[in-house]
Amino acid sequence: MQRYLQVVIVGLMVWVDGWVQGVAAAEVDYLRDVRPILSNACFKCHGPGTQKGKLRLDEREAAVRRGAIVPGQPAESELLRRITASDEAERMPPPESGDRLSPQQVDTLRRWIAAGAPYAPHWAFSPPRRPAVPQTRFATVNPIDNFIRYRLEQEGLTPSPPADKATLLRRVYLDLTGLLPTPAEVDAFLRDESPDAYEKVVDRLLASPHYGERQARHWLDLARYADSNGYTIDGPRSIWPYRDWVIAAFNADMPFDQFTREQLAGDLLPQATQAQKIATGFHRNTPFNEEGGTDPEQFRVERTVDRTNTTGTVWLGLTIACAQCHDHKYDPITQVDYYRLYAFFNSCDEPTLVVGGDPRLERTIAHLQAMNADLQRVGDVEGMKIVQAQIKKVQGKLPTTLVMRERPTPRSTHVLIRGDFLRPGSRVTPGFPAILGPTPADRPLNRLDLAHWLTAPDNPLTARVTVNREWQKFFGRGLVETENDFGYQGSLPTHPELLDWLAVEFRDNGWSFKKLHKLIVLSATYRQASTQRTDLAVRDPRNLLLARQNRLRLEAEIIRDAALCASGMLNPQIGGPGVYPPQPREVFAFTQSNHPWPESKGPDRYRRGMYTFIWRQSQHHLLTTFDAPDAQTTCTRRNRSNTPLQALHLANDPVFVELAQHLGQRILREGPADDTGRLRYAFRLCLVREPTPAELQRLQTYLQRCQQEDPKTAWSAVARVLLNLDEFITRE
Amino acid sequence: MTLRHSWHQWEQAVCLWQTRRHFFRDCAIGIGQMALATLLARDGYAVEKTTGRRDPLAPKPPHFPPRAKAVIFLFMAGGPSHLDLFDPKPQLQRLHGQTVPPSFTQGKRFAFIKPDAKLLGSAQTFRKCGQVGMDICDLLPHLQTVADEICWLRGMKTDVFNHGPAKCFVNTGSPQFGRPSMGAWVTYGLGSECDSLPGFVVLQSGPRGPRGGAALWSCGFLPSIYQGVPFLKGANPILDLRSPPGVTDAQQRAFIETVNDLNRLHFQAVGDPEIATRIAAYETAFRMQTAAPEVMDLSRESKRVLDMYGVVPGQPSYAANCLLARRLVERGVRFVQLYHTNWDHHGGPTENLEVHLPQVCREIDRPTAALIRDLKQRGLLDTTLVIWGGEFGRTPMGEVRESTGRDHHIDAYTMWLAGGGVKRGFIYGTTDEIGYNVVENPVHVHDLQATILHLLGLDHTRLTFRFQGRDFRLTDVHGHVVHDILA
Repeated sequence: MQRYLQVVIVGLMVWVDGWVQGVAAAEVDYLRDVRPILSNACFKCHGPGTQKGKLRLDEREAAVRRGAIVPGQPAESELLRRITASDEAERMPPPESGDRLSPQQVDTLRRWIAAGAPYAPHWAFSPPRRPAVPQTRFATVNPIDNFIRYRLEQEGLTPSPPADKATLLRRVYLDLTGLLPTPAEVDAFLRDESPDAYEKVVDRLLASPHYGERQARHWLDLARYADSNGYTIDGPRSIWPYRDWVIAAFNADMPFDQFTREQLAGDLLPQATQAQKIATGFHRNTPFNEEGGTDPEQFRVERTVDRTNTTGTVWLGLTIACAQCHDHKYDPITQVDYYRLYAFFNSCDEPTLVVGGDPRLERTIAHLQAMNADLQRVGDVEGMKIVQAQIKKVQGKLPTTLVMRERPTPRSTHVLIRGDFLRPGSRVTPGFPAILGPTPADRPLNRLDLAHWLTAPDNPLTARVTVNREWQKFFGRGLVETENDFGYQGSLPTHPELLDWLAVEFRDNGWSFKKLHKLIVLSATYRQASTQRTDLAVRDPRNLLLARQNRLRLEAEIIRDAALCASGMLNPQIGGPGVYPPQPREVFAFTQSNHPWPESKGPDRYRRGMYTFIWRQSQHHLLTTFDAPDAQTTCTRRNRSNTPLQALHLANDPVFVELAQHLGQRILREGPADDTGRLRYAFRLCLVREPTPAELQRLQTYLQRCQQEDPKTAWSAVARVLLNLDEFITRE
Repeated sequence: MTLRHSWHQWEQAVCLWQTRRHFFRDCAIGIGQMALATLLARDGYAVEKTTGRRDPLAPKPPHFPPRAKAVIFLFMAGGPSHLDLFDPKPQLQRLHGQTVPPSFTQGKRFAFIKPDAKLLGSAQTFRKCGQVGMDICDLLPHLQTVADEICWLRGMKTDVFNHGPAKCFVNTGSPQFGRPSMGAWVTYGLGSECDSLPGFVVLQSGPRGPRGGAALWSCGFLPSIYQGVPFLKGANPILDLRSPPGVTDAQQRAFIETVNDLNRLHFQAVGDPEIATRIAAYETAFRMQTAAPEVMDLSRESKRVLDMYGVVPGQPSYAANCLLARRLVERGVRFVQLYHTNWDHHGGPTENLEVHLPQVCREIDRPTAALIRDLKQRGLLDTTLVIWGGEFGRTPMGEVRESTGRDHHIDAYTMWLAGGGVKRGFIYGTTDEIGYNVVENPVHVHDLQATILHLLGLDHTRLTFRFQGRDFRLTDVHGHVVHDILA
């Protein structure tokens, strides 16, 4: 019976999976059906990187020439003979590779060869074109819905109804600003029955300075931002002006092409402004090894490697890191391609920039300098010493930040054999991966050329990769699920036309994040309920087709922000040096250095989570417990784990206990006079929506129990429950 | 998603379906819900068939029958000197003070010394121990008495010679920070038998934390449930373990019940299995609040046991951590890692071979031997793999500082294993006449990692996680199981 069930269920699941991918049994599609098999099982030895037996299967001509594939004649094809050979020594892939093909996979290859073995170029390596917007019988707000709902219609599925207004409001606040709406904002929205009520809220949120904070934190994940150097010593660094630059750029809706240029090559722009120099901090966020006995060149190379890999991941969505030691095993990226990209970053110096800022300090410095000049005139050497020491001291208070600066004479770049910095191979010049287009040969290129190339209209990847990551912010998963791999091993887009339409729209609409975000959050697809549905649970268990929204657990920083909002304690100040919300001293018990943690008193104690000082190797325990990135390398998607340590944190951590107390006081201060009214008010402060009768009753039971024990702390106790609800830390 | 990958998930789907139906019976959404949950299986949402546990750490079946169920890794941070502890070299004594022959050092790199440094004979005395006849220095008299329980690896090799990257390499298989650590891989692969403590616990002793910090027990790109949990000293080893001040156990229970009742109501309304996992997490957290202080309380151990380890109650030490490791493994914790500093004997006022090597040996000698005996007496040694060693060895050449020391050395050093399915009283690997290179039976760090996983019933080439378009594993693309040392 058990065996039978397994067969049935597995069969069902395979069918469901195939169904969702839209596989029709009759026709075999190279990109969708064939290449994943070849890529997984064959390309490692017979692909772009390695050609055992001089055979490569990733190019049709080569495979046909060697007789591996005889188009139209599976029986004559060596490929088929070898994958079906009964002799273990003959059969491919070899047993030790562990990549044995299933009978279905063999059948797919057989049918593909029978159909003439057509190859197709990789979808992501041709520039996106704007596809026609399909028509659908379902309601739509904008073309996003046409693409999503057309597909649902094809599959015989229906979209979900819109989320209720309260849920939608909490969702869009959290997604755009990372904060909760105030009771007054909730009331105003619920009362507003005009057709554009929601759009007005969206416009207000896009204009809010907190929009920049929320979006910047996503970008800082990519930038591997931290306030310390990492490795073993992990000394502090000052680079928060870069973090603030990112916030300001999002708030100003800086076009993404300019955003790219300033971060990759701000120092190379004509008459670069201070802000443009600060922007180059993007690639100064690499860890820096201060350990004794290290070879500085080794770690300079490591930083350059990280810059190359990060650029490849963030803009191109390619796993080019694989080509550091050898030609890429799956994608057509050679080791030479890798070091040509590396060469763009190989000629940088890494200076520290003094950032002006506080006018009082600058006035003091000017005053002291005048004094110094006076003393020099009268020849008072002793006085000069004192004044100069004073100048140094005051200058030390001026903020600094880490930036990139191109060397006057470029370093010569070589392929590093097996990635070893002690084994230089052939010399290379800066250039672009050959598969993505030609490199101009008439002059030497620099980082500014790289930035221009990345955002050129015919770059096939940058716009797609970027809109995909933006989509992920609002649905929890990209249209391409492998948001960091658009190469051969990556997953295919669930909605290829929509991805291209968004990419073109983004590019042609001035690379505007605000316009893109507005388009997404206004769509009916975004506004759907996230409730699970019986029919979808069988037909599309992973919700790839988006017949509903997804529930998403909030990120570490946003959990803190939500608790600050609910308790009314949030200090909305934007930017500045990192702050030190309370944390147990024991966080440092396990690291080599005993870092200072001068716990913030006063308003800084209640700053948003993104301003918490980040010691790379011993991050604040809220961040580590709730999956904040480790800031070692670029992070394109955070995990959303669900663990007992998270429960302990929310339930017992002094910060959350304190905020629960503040929330308890707020309920009494602002809420109505009766217990039921207060419970409803508390519920709405945290979850925006009204409680159901069952929820209200359960809370009442708890409140009464607490009141009997200690009336003074009863409301803090209720507040603590609310801050611990799964719904509180989830965007519904 | 690759087919192989999906297949694994379907298997887990079936498993879930068989065990979860009672749990989801009252949920209107039914079977598809379970299918959905199973697709999260790669995030660890598997359910153990026999216990019906539904938390992400529930035990999962290994690839093949295991020899060991648990691991205790005694990490000697800093790089212990094989030449002064386990690998005496008469020729090195004879060549003391001479320059090392260039054939040894050509093309090699060192952290601090120059290739023309003078050879340094060991000041230690050794004796042949046990039937195996292992040479163990007299700084380790207790360890000398258990030589026949141990499988000695004299041919260890690693790739990197700075502390941080080298520690990272032993723990994660890569010198770059950011990959999952061995303990994370193991709990990802096997879950944990214990539902009231973390599956991967880290303990620390010595003057400072290990260089490299949290990256050494990181979960990397694996879900954070698999991250090592560093235990703190004292009665409350986990951050935020204690209920807030003034909250009694009964009040905490009422609090958790209220949270979970409300979560259940919301689960009924929206049907997201994440909420069910959250409910389980709160229940586990509550159990941890009792179980963790209990495990830390050594006062229930007999005086005989305390004396055997050399534990002074109430005083944190390596000895106390060894005893704790045994208590954790007894309770079903999968992977326990002890870090003890400092073995970085370069020479100098605080890190030399004259004073500080004997000192650190005194700290670890009795407790380490006691751990092996204690595990054996309790019948746990057969199923517990004990690993001893650091990130690299030390050079045959001395380092010129105020007092005697040696530099970091990656081409040959000693580690050892005991219990958990390895040969007892067995020496594997030989170094050359000055202990510079391995001349027979080398074991590279990746081989050791492959072997550790093998002993746990895991195939190191199959324990993978898809990230950035490829399947990552602990051993990268390297590693061979060292079959010669398996019992």
